[in-house]
Amino acid sequence: MSGEALRSADLRKVYTSRGAPRVAALAGVSMEVRSGERVALLGRNGAGKTTFLKIASTLLRPTSGSIEVFGIDVDATPERARPYIAVVPQEGKPFFHLCPREQVYTYLRARGLSRETAKARTEEALERMGLTEVAERLSVTLSGGQRQRTMVATVIATEAPLLFLDEPTIGMDPFARRDVWASLRALTQKGSTILLTTHYLDEADALSHRLYIIERGQVLVNGTAEDLKRSVGGTLKVSMPNGASAIDAFRSFGSCVADGSLLSVIVSPERLGELMDLAVRSRLTATVGPVTLEEAFLRVVGRSIDEDT
Amino acid sequence: MATSMVVQVVLLVFVYILNPALIGVALIGSVVFSAFALGQRVLNEAAYVRIDHKATDLYLAGPLSPEGYFVGMAGGILLIYVTPVAILGGLAVAVAHLSFASGLLLFGLSGLVWLFAASVGYVFSTFFRDNRAIWAYSSLFFNVFGVLPPVFYPLGLFPAPLHPIVLLMPPSAAAAILQAAIGVTTLSSGELALAAGGLCVETAVVFAFAIFWARRTVRSK
Repeated sequence: MSGEALRSADLRKVYTSRGAPRVAALAGVSMEVRSGERVALLGRNGAGKTTFLKIASTLLRPTSGSIEVFGIDVDATPERARPYIAVVPQEGKPFFHLCPREQVYTYLRARGLSRETAKARTEEALERMGLTEVAERLSVTLSGGQRQRTMVATVIATEAPLLFLDEPTIGMDPFARRDVWASLRALTQKGSTILLTTHYLDEADALSHRLYIIERGQVLVNGTAEDLKRSVGGTLKVSMPNGASAIDAFRSFGSCVADGSLLSVIVSPERLGELMDLAVRSRLTATVGPVTLEEAFLRVVGRSIDEDT
Repeated sequence: MATSMVVQVVLLVFVYILNPALIGVALIGSVVFSAFALGQRVLNEAAYVRIDHKATDLYLAGPLSPEGYFVGMAGGILLIYVTPVAILGGLAVAVAHLSFASGLLLFGLSGLVWLFAASVGYVFSTFFRDNRAIWAYSSLFFNVFGVLPPVFYPLGLFPAPLHPIVLLMPPSAAAAILQAAIGVTTLSSGELALAAGGLCVETAVVFAFAIFWARRTVRSK
């Protein structure tokens, strides 16, 4: 598949229920995802990420606006779009009475794959997700991370042209998360397209070609992780544990944020030496690190990704 | 599997203690009741995997049709639990001395009852957002359709003015037809038409509605 995998224009969703106020979950989201891309959707809880994914995956009707998957109108003809997609739902769990091997195989067979293909893809997905050793254990006996890996294995085994992953690595340890990243990279190299939501900014940074930041149902910004980090105003972050009281002296170097007694300054590499001299003269200890997506997110949204809307 | 047979076995023991001569009727009733209970199980399972496992999100955002999902789930539950029902069926054939034709009738009517219960169960399962709320309704259906009416005992023991009502309820309609087939109950042609026609029409209508409903509820609004 080539060209555009997903396109939405002015997509809106208002939830209404008797006796409750109307909630505008999406307030005009326009987005494009090209074939073979890995795109991350970032936002705080309640920002509208899952609503967008549910509409894109044909499970929820939008209030207005348009959305297409490979040129197919998702709202008008969802049954035409469904063969091209697969979804890791948020908080999804494998069937407890099935083992990971049965879970993946059954799902592939339900999607219409032949026995041989389903079997081969099942083994490949289990191996990629590091589940071979527990492939015969009932899912009810697996850890939370292993269950989540089983869900991801179930969906990546489809090799569907467009994969939606809602918080796919939640509950996984760092090693398992990296296995998932490697699998997703391999899938896009084979031609699949991936749209994922995540709360892990390092994951979005490491994995996505582009990302969208959503806040209160609107896209605030989109671009590469590098673009966003550059927009912060520098590539380095200097942290001074007792520097908050000296904030005025550092304002000329770049963006300064005081959090309790901690002072953080975003600075360009050219002015780092000058800033460190001032820190030494002010008898402040300072540590230097690269600017991360966290700073970019804070600058764009004004709040941490961990705060609820 | 064993737990799915507890109610049937307990009722069989009750009937045997009260009147051993009725054990053949009760065994036939236990097969019909099992078919109803297995269909009814779709209510719990469909709601549980939708709410707790997000299985509908996983399966329906893909090429599998909504009606395929419904029929597949109902059929899967039937397959898992069919062995003890088949054992009960074998006992019913042996103890009640069912002819080949009556055996086929038992098989066919039980299938209709299962389809009716599975369809009702699937439709109802879509209304719940909390598994705990289902238990009360599940128990209600179970008792009102399966335990109370004359499924495990002859229709003649049930108050005559209420016969039209129980003949319109699929499990007791199927049981009454089977009781008539082995000569335990006498049904007028009108009653037979009511029971058989009602069972067929209700099952067809409810199954068609379940298919329609499965397609309609694949996307929430």
